[in-house]
Amino acid sequence: MAIRPNKHEMPVQDPKVRARNFGEVALGYDEKTAVAEAQRCLNCKNRPCVAGCPVNISIPEFIGKIKTGEYEEAYKIISQSSSLPAVCGRVCPQETQCEQKCTLGIKFEPVAIGRLERFVADRHNATNEGAAQVPVSNGKKVAVIGSGPSGLTCAGDLAKKGYRVTIFEALHVAGGVLVYGIPEFRLPKAIVRKEVENLKQYGVEVDTNVVIGKTLTVDELFDMGYEAVFIGSGAGLPRFMGIPGESLKGVYSANEFLTRNNLMKAYEADSDTPVMHAKRVAVVGGGNVAMDAARTALRLGADSVHVIYRRSMEEIPARREEVEHAEEEGIVFDILRNPVEILGYRNPEDRRDPKNGFVTGIKVVKCQLGEPDEKGRRRPVEVPGSEYIMDVDCVIMAIGTSPNPLIKNTTAGLEVNRRGGIVVEESTGKTSKAGVFAGGDAVTGAATVILAMGAGKTAAKAIDEYLCGSRAK
Amino acid sequence: MNDERYFASVDFIDDPNVAGRGYWYECPIEDVERGDEVLAPLGRHSRLQLGVVRQTLRARDAEAPYPVYLIKSIKDVVKKRQGEYMMYKIIEKRSLNPTVTMMDIFAPLVAKKALPGQFVILRSDENGERIPLTVAGCNVKAGTVKIIFQVVGATTIKLNDMKVGDCLADFVGPLGRATETEGIKKACIVGGGVGCAIAMPVAQKLHELGCEVHSVIGFRNSDLVILEDEFKACSDRLTVVTDDGSYGRKGVVTEPLKEALEKGENYDMIIAIGPLIMMKFVVATARPFGVPVTVSMNPIMIDGTGMCGGCRLTVGGQTKFACVDGPDFNGYEVDFDEAMERGNMYSDFERHARDKACNLFKKEAE
Repeated sequence: MAIRPNKHEMPVQDPKVRARNFGEVALGYDEKTAVAEAQRCLNCKNRPCVAGCPVNISIPEFIGKIKTGEYEEAYKIISQSSSLPAVCGRVCPQETQCEQKCTLGIKFEPVAIGRLERFVADRHNATNEGAAQVPVSNGKKVAVIGSGPSGLTCAGDLAKKGYRVTIFEALHVAGGVLVYGIPEFRLPKAIVRKEVENLKQYGVEVDTNVVIGKTLTVDELFDMGYEAVFIGSGAGLPRFMGIPGESLKGVYSANEFLTRNNLMKAYEADSDTPVMHAKRVAVVGGGNVAMDAARTALRLGADSVHVIYRRSMEEIPARREEVEHAEEEGIVFDILRNPVEILGYRNPEDRRDPKNGFVTGIKVVKCQLGEPDEKGRRRPVEVPGSEYIMDVDCVIMAIGTSPNPLIKNTTAGLEVNRRGGIVVEESTGKTSKAGVFAGGDAVTGAATVILAMGAGKTAAKAIDEYLCGSRAK
Repeated sequence: MNDERYFASVDFIDDPNVAGRGYWYECPIEDVERGDEVLAPLGRHSRLQLGVVRQTLRARDAEAPYPVYLIKSIKDVVKKRQGEYMMYKIIEKRSLNPTVTMMDIFAPLVAKKALPGQFVILRSDENGERIPLTVAGCNVKAGTVKIIFQVVGATTIKLNDMKVGDCLADFVGPLGRATETEGIKKACIVGGGVGCAIAMPVAQKLHELGCEVHSVIGFRNSDLVILEDEFKACSDRLTVVTDDGSYGRKGVVTEPLKEALEKGENYDMIIAIGPLIMMKFVVATARPFGVPVTVSMNPIMIDGTGMCGGCRLTVGGQTKFACVDGPDFNGYEVDFDEAMERGNMYSDFERHARDKACNLFKKEAE
């Protein structure tokens, strides 16, 4: 049988329709498509895809189970390595990980590993209500700070090994960036809830409304009987550019804009949390967060949404699929542009005019690509005299974050680097403080969900060795 | 028999002075049983304290375990024997004036840690907004945190509708940095309106530390005066002013402050908490005298933990985040005009919420 050269298309909501609703964009494979896509896997001997996965899922094995229709078996194989399959199937950048390494991809399109993972997880979540087997407790308590991807993974892995794990979450719901950052249309919150419920079945406890560094400190966690602590507190304070006008009304950090919509459901008519329903929106930045913010602004009813990015489409750091979806929906990419000032309304006659201080425009300068920087990315160079003004009433800054200071300020002996990221031994997640491990954005600065999961996994293994290794001695 | 009363003996197990002894209380809550954890008033000042019910008894007055004319009552249950703590339960609610309400909320972890100047973020119900409120006091032994709020938007309207015994959906803290009190020997506390609720615990702490405290508190009119007795108790000198002169001295808070400074009062620090415009003018008043001013900023916030950046301010030409860098800042460095503008970003939305609530009242009245 000849190999089908292309991936099976992912059914999606029509771009015109989805640009005005918050329903999920990608609809998922049906059973027939999933089996047909699974057939494309060559089941090659050297399994390069597994090495491409940060948590080393046994990819050919789970795809093999789809071929034979044993979907629950496929789920079991994935969950040996991943605690959040329904999430990863949706938000992992497979094109630069497992799928990039796929042997089939040398000649054709690679196997749609991510879509198959999503199929298996969704099918499990839809059909399986039975309780998971709670492992026998080893009596040791571990505290996990933060319920984002790294914390959930670390907690899940440790719970499956018999540890009594408590996750401390600062916000009122568990999920971290999966609930406050990634929008409903890309990752429905019901899926995150389900994944968290799955973990609770393994005995993981989630304590919301506890800010470690404030409500409790890391040292107090040890006093409370936790023998190891994993810090997965995520990225922190949003960065701004330092240009004039960033304090005007209508300038949001992407974190604030997304939190208002995702966590607080500001897009729903009866939400108590307000958000600006802007008509002309500029989003500054080119990462996945910028795409999420731009597409959210569109769904809130904007007439035009422009992404301002200082390099070209080739360097844009967002996933290709996100950029394509954004373009289909009508987001305009103003590349090779850099903002220099945000302009606001000022009524010279009336200091009390309520319109005073609202954004009216953004001044941008054109850029050219110059010499490559130390990372090999070509540096944008501003073209003198090329400034012009774009009329907008809302500007969203999506240019990254710097680490949250709360934990480092209250934990003696925890070493951080120049940028404020927690210093760890890469192969174990061990910090400079005994019994304390860390991973995810709190260590690396803003990165991806799957990298954070990989770090959570590494730390879980190291914590197990630290606690049970020491017992053996 | 209906002339029997219900009594419970409470052991305050966490208090080394009284642990192990049982104290009898009248128990107005019928379903209290052995093993429940309750809040009950203890000692000369009848401060609420957390204890465990050891014994219950139904008896007529004559057989009461303690003279009925002296016996105190259990305030509330916070944990049933088999259940979990009833987190964020409203233990006490009192209206300070027609638009300002005080509540004591059961949140033991927060109560243990909160210091004057710090704040909490709360949500009244599952669909509620997260709002920041400054801690107005704590009772560590009862595990309660005092909040004082003005009814301005959707959430404070809902919060104000909640009753004693209801539980808030969420209550997290303490957030922000505590007010710096070290090295202050003589201070002037300037409070405006509901800002007095935030200023009060700071004044109390300074007073406890042996600092000379002069307080100036201002309100629009006599109906809106709050916390006068509390300020009197912790101030070496107290001046109350109202805009219209309907109570205390007529005028604004900066006038008595200016007079004091002109008289040569050598304050180490002026701590101003109130509307932005008031704090701005306190700074302007103090400037010629070179007295340092600390102000407490209360901008719009969402998470309150240093994630969203909504609470940013320009301080000393730099972007600062009130939730992790503040809420207290050097008054001379704060860009008040910008903060005032940012503060009214959602005023339309708030007005809308108020109108909606008012329409509901109208319907009920009809």
